[in-house]
Amino acid sequence: MASDRIVERRRVFQQYKEDVKERGKPFYPYAMWHDTIMSLVVVCVIIGLAIVWKYSTPGNHIGTEPGWLGKLYDAPADPGTINFVPRPDWYFYLLFYLLRIFKWPESVILGTIGLPTLFLVLLLAVPFYDLRAERRLGRRPVAIIAAILVVLSMGILTYKGATAKEALGSELKALVPKWAADEGYTGNKQAVAGANLFAVAGCANCHTYNGAGGQYPGAPNLTAEGAKNKGIAFQIAHLKCPACVNPGSPMPSFTGLGDARLKSLATFLEASKGKK
Amino acid sequence: MATRRLTRQEQLQQTIMYPVDWLEERSGLVGGLRYFLFRKVPGDINWFQTLGSATLTAFIVQALTGSILAMYYKPDPNSAYPSIQHITNDVWAGWLVRGMHRWGASVFIILMFMHMGRVFLFGAYKYPRELNWILGVLLLAMGLGEGFTGYLLPWDQTAYWATVVGININGTAPFLGPFIAQFLQGGTAINPDTLARFYAIHMLMIPGAIFALIGLHLYLVIRLGVTSPPWSKEAAGTGPSPNGRVTKTRRGLMRPGTRRNGR
Amino acid sequence: MQPHDEHPHVPGPSLWPVGFAVGIVVLLIGLIVSWYIAGLGALVALAFAFLWVRDLTAGTPLAHAEEVPPESPTGAAIPAPEGGDAMPPSEPEERYPRSKFLELSTLGVGGVIGGLVSAPAIGFMVAPAFLKQGVKDHDIGPLTDYPDGKFVVATFMSDKTQGEVSRRTAFVRSNGQLNGQPSFTIISNHCAHLGCPVQPNGPLEEQKKKQLGDVTLIPTVSIAGFGCPCHGGQYDTEGNRTAGPPVRALDRYSFSIRNGHLFLGKPFSVSHVDGAGASAKIHKWTLAFPGEHVNGIESWLYPVQPPH
Repeated sequence: MASDRIVERRRVFQQYKEDVKERGKPFYPYAMWHDTIMSLVVVCVIIGLAIVWKYSTPGNHIGTEPGWLGKLYDAPADPGTINFVPRPDWYFYLLFYLLRIFKWPESVILGTIGLPTLFLVLLLAVPFYDLRAERRLGRRPVAIIAAILVVLSMGILTYKGATAKEALGSELKALVPKWAADEGYTGNKQAVAGANLFAVAGCANCHTYNGAGGQYPGAPNLTAEGAKNKGIAFQIAHLKCPACVNPGSPMPSFTGLGDARLKSLATFLEASKGKK
Repeated sequence: MATRRLTRQEQLQQTIMYPVDWLEERSGLVGGLRYFLFRKVPGDINWFQTLGSATLTAFIVQALTGSILAMYYKPDPNSAYPSIQHITNDVWAGWLVRGMHRWGASVFIILMFMHMGRVFLFGAYKYPRELNWILGVLLLAMGLGEGFTGYLLPWDQTAYWATVVGININGTAPFLGPFIAQFLQGGTAINPDTLARFYAIHMLMIPGAIFALIGLHLYLVIRLGVTSPPWSKEAAGTGPSPNGRVTKTRRGLMRPGTRRNGR
Repeated sequence: MQPHDEHPHVPGPSLWPVGFAVGIVVLLIGLIVSWYIAGLGALVALAFAFLWVRDLTAGTPLAHAEEVPPESPTGAAIPAPEGGDAMPPSEPEERYPRSKFLELSTLGVGGVIGGLVSAPAIGFMVAPAFLKQGVKDHDIGPLTDYPDGKFVVATFMSDKTQGEVSRRTAFVRSNGQLNGQPSFTIISNHCAHLGCPVQPNGPLEEQKKKQLGDVTLIPTVSIAGFGCPCHGGQYDTEGNRTAGPPVRALDRYSFSIRNGHLFLGKPFSVSHVDGAGASAKIHKWTLAFPGEHVNGIESWLYPVQPPH
């Protein structure tokens, strides 16, 4: 006993088959011609990308310097490194950024497994919860809105994953002279020492400074921290116990660096009045 | 049997068709190919509907370039990186084959998503094509799996650490997570067997599954037919044209559509 | 052959040609291997040849079989559904009619073959997840290289036979003495969130780097803890998580001391550490993958850990 809906669908499908038989055109050469053109475009794009990848690298195009499309290969794998920040291939950037959004330990599993699996299951089950036979776009508002939302969110997450910054101590140390020049404390030895310390003490894992650093949601940008004129004593007290000075702050204590270094850091922060 | 002498053209045609007929009599395959090539498709199909075959082309590029790369790549942690350098810098056109494989992967994934979006917007996953949609989503998952396993193969810093994080992400799955992670690693930590394992999965297991799923996917496309675009005025499935004939207006790839009232 | 015969002269079924073939094969093999075997083969071939020829030249009914129309087989190979040549119906007491037996045994034998092929293959693939892997101790240098109270970044190979792929890094701090025994805090540098390499939050003394064989030691000046650049995880100097997504404290290594050298042993997971230095109370758990909670409600998601 088939329901009316399935009977109607079968009728429409029969009609479809008859219409195609009557008014259709043979696949070859009509449709296959367009398939072939498109395939040619695809192959040319792939070859073009391969050529650009190789020949936009500097020098004689061998080695680890990046070109327009990135490096040909990185340094050999070093499982004991302490100086590397992994990144997946670009099509995983949205998962990569999802991991930064779910920053509470209890929610980690949502970002790693929960949401991607949910999305995949919903995707797989689309024909089973969209039971209308309607195909005209103008009469499928839910489908269109869902499609736009999905595409937008995937695009935004991928973009944010692509532009997300990380803080690698060795790379940041090389930037210190530029920081000093930009903010005008090159002559201040203590401030420069503090800047070097800032680069390796893990501050940039969460904070951004002069365009570099980790962008952890919630950690303020410190490029113009000195302009707030909070004073060296405040900075030292804050570094020793951030939650005491700033209740609810998730920032850990940096007492372990020792008083002398904390003073350098504080001097550096107070000297950072913003880019000149 | 003909009772008159055949013309030159007919004689030529008979000679050319002889091997084809030989093959057809002994296998029946030529008939299958003819059916595939000359089957009818709706007259109003659209450029967007070329995305599926474009994805297939990208996959074939991957399969071919991957097979060639496999002739020079060595899946051992000590020789993987030097073999990649060798391919990129020394082997004739090695840089081209490797570049095509690496960027072909990105193009393949982009095209899969575009094709999926097109199918979704055309409503081409609805009855009777639900099974085809499921196969397509499985193909998407397999394609992403290929990207994940292939990323480790150059064995440089990026490859190694991205894979460490990827394996640990799999490890956070409930109940089976630790076992999945150990299965991927081939042990309690990444060891020399891990690379060979990823290589086997990337080269043999997932491509085997993809070939099988593509075969089923194409079989269903041929059997169930291709839909007309949803905005088409003379979409197949809506019945014969009112006046029985078609006038020339600009619409669709192959066949102009009629203008009809209402709808 | 009789010229007026309408049916072709078809020899009946016979094993004599088979015996003849076997004899020829044995003869040929014997020519290579040994004359005795060749002689045996020749005898067998001659015997069967005689029988075969006798059959062919005899005018017995065996040499002239009836033409068999394909629709109704006369042989006993495929049971016909009904008629005189059909399979005899099973006796009322008989419980395994022949066709059913053939069906079941075909499926059964097929299943056995499938099992024989796939079990070793799948076991081969999956077994490493279930087998205990032995951990060898690794020597990371003399005790004198580890000043009290300061962390040293030690890079070593956890299994020399595996080569570079087993290279690991640990942060080692000597804590002085506890009950007369040297106490060490040895923290793994794999982040407990997703395994990224963790950095010490503080300057390293690169110029004082020491190389002892495969082990590299870099002392630190003073560090405020550890930080992970991937997603902003932060740990204190005992490895406790202080900020960010890590789900537990950093893993640690057990250690032993032999001949004045420090040896690292099995790693283990830590949920948290109370106190600091030599008198710290470490809450130990079996080694878990990064991202897995070891205590609390979410640890119920991982009831069974594969052996490490």
